[in-house]
Amino acid sequence: MNDDELMAGVRDAFTVLDPVPGDVLAAGRAALAWRLPAATLAGLTLERTVGAARGTRGGTVRTLTFTCPDATVEVEVAEAGRFRELTGRIVPAAAASVAVRHRDLPPDPAGARVEPGGLFCLPEVPAGLVSLVFRLDGGASVVTSWAHV
Amino acid sequence: MDDDALLARARDGDGAAWARLVDEHSPLLWAVARSHGLHDADSGDVVQTTWLRLVESIDTVRDAGAVRVWLVTTARRESLRVVRLRGRALPVARPAEPSAAGAGAVGPSAEPAPDRVVLDRDRLGRVGTALQELPLRCRTLLRLYALAPTYKELAAALGIPLGSVGPTRARCLDTLRRLLR
Repeated sequence: MNDDELMAGVRDAFTVLDPVPGDVLAAGRAALAWRLPAATLAGLTLERTVGAARGTRGGTVRTLTFTCPDATVEVEVAEAGRFRELTGRIVPAAAASVAVRHRDLPPDPAGARVEPGGLFCLPEVPAGLVSLVFRLDGGASVVTSWAHV
Repeated sequence: MDDDALLARARDGDGAAWARLVDEHSPLLWAVARSHGLHDADSGDVVQTTWLRLVESIDTVRDAGAVRVWLVTTARRESLRVVRLRGRALPVARPAEPSAAGAGAVGPSAEPAPDRVVLDRDRLGRVGTALQELPLRCRTLLRLYALAPTYKELAAALGIPLGSVGPTRARCLDTLRRLLR
């Protein structure tokens, strides 16, 4: 048995022993639908965890910073049971809406207005993998890299 | 059609090309998650996160032939994130220690219980049956090697130096061959 035949045997064995579940494959195929070709990607550049926040039951607060050439998005994540409260700001401040992308939420959420000063608050975000989309009134949009909250 | 061509089509919105990429490479990403000792839900999370990250970076991953190394590197990073998160809750899920020893770098693997293996023996074939007798680290390495045949991909999956991939792989292959004799 040559190397190629051996490796084919190994692949076949694991296909029987431990196949990728169908729902995992389906989620992978569905991932392309989350593409926003026109949006600028702001990548995660800094992640910090600070001690328990006031008003939460012993939970910690994480700060995530996303950066792209034209904007910085700072997000504070506070735990509240199954939900997360996301507060933060976009710099420079812009007239815009902000929406949460999450696999358990509708794919094209309406979003909330960003307040003056670039501040925003998203009170009931389900825990899990999340990405924020900022649609600037000028027409451009910024999307943050997927992050676990 | 190779990965680069499929990715170019997916970039243009071709869902069928994307689905082919996902179907072809998800077993490798799943194996990377398993090699970090992750169980079903966490492994599924790693695979899905990896595909979402490729979607968000789809315009920047353009080096010829680099898609698989990119995917494996991302899946390993996501796996280590889960391992850190679970560290205290799941003692079985410890990160693979990168080391020059090579073979020692492969962590525990969340595989099905042995009783299931017995039931599946007919379907496993000779190689699959012999695999069950290999040490876990070799089984894990050969699984990854079978799915990620270049040293560069394998080094990325295991987080070990490129130079130690060859000797480690050779030792495990020799052991498997001896079991098949």
